[in-house]
Amino acid sequence: MHIPDGLLDPVTTIVLWIVTIVIMFISFKKIRKSFEEEDSEKLIPYIGVLAATLFAFQFVNYPVPGGTSGHLVGGTLVGVILGPWAAVIVIFMILVVQSLFGDGGITAIGANTFNMGVICGIVGFYIVKALILILNKTNMEKQKKVTIATAIGSYVSIVLAALMAGIEIGIGGAIPMNIAVPAMVFWHLIIGIGEAIISAFIVYFIYKVKPEFITTEEMLGVK
Amino acid sequence: MVDLDKYKWPILTIIIITVVLMIMIAVGFTIGILSEDPDGLERVLIDARGETWVENLPSPWEPILGWIESDYIAGIIGIILSVVLIMSAFYLITYLKKTQH
Repeated sequence: MHIPDGLLDPVTTIVLWIVTIVIMFISFKKIRKSFEEEDSEKLIPYIGVLAATLFAFQFVNYPVPGGTSGHLVGGTLVGVILGPWAAVIVIFMILVVQSLFGDGGITAIGANTFNMGVICGIVGFYIVKALILILNKTNMEKQKKVTIATAIGSYVSIVLAALMAGIEIGIGGAIPMNIAVPAMVFWHLIIGIGEAIISAFIVYFIYKVKPEFITTEEMLGVK
Repeated sequence: MVDLDKYKWPILTIIIITVVLMIMIAVGFTIGILSEDPDGLERVLIDARGETWVENLPSPWEPILGWIESDYIAGIIGIILSVVLIMSAFYLITYLKKTQH
């Protein structure tokens, strides 16, 4: 999913950097608000620890049938744990560090943050929220609602992010759009299963061990 | 200045998590639990343009970090830079919050 340097054309690269910077700016504003509201003495180190964990987890490439591999992106997962705005910041931080390891390009950080932070983090979070509103009509336990919604939200957001990446690569001209988009979506329909399982497992585990670490219950509207 | 003593445990946790997980990943690749196959995007690019084309994409890091030839040294430098960067972001947020009050 990490777009390398030299793949996107300059216009797409610059546009996605601008969009990402604007969303990051909004995210900082929103986060600052939540720092004032929440117990930020705990929230700040928690963001740092979560970023470090996710950074290392993104290097874990699990085998996927068909001679490919997948790894956790975690945008929706961070969105569910810390909120959609914090997810963008966390993913951006991770991508900056990863670009040092050659995993994703430095010029493509804007595009990668857009795909993995904005699509997976913000869009994924609101997919989870919509699913929870539906699941609220059942008498399922709270933790099960969030776990199921996280799994589906993570899966859908990964496929959406892959679709976006395919479009960006197609616009860049490295691969024709009619090849890039279906191929990206096809592989991520398979890879997304791993994302859904890992994200759901982590959310369920946190609920079992330290439920207060899920700071977005109110935002998600889970009952 | 930020009272670093207060954040001793989160800081240590960040370092420990990063180092332990990266060692686990190295072991995982060595014993074959983890996959070295290309990920989804790489697979699409390789299928469309070939492996050589993907490997030769230009990188802006090349002139700066191209002198590192050993994978182990690159890994160690990577871990140090990762910890420093994540810690710097953490420190900056903490510092900004402190200066607001």
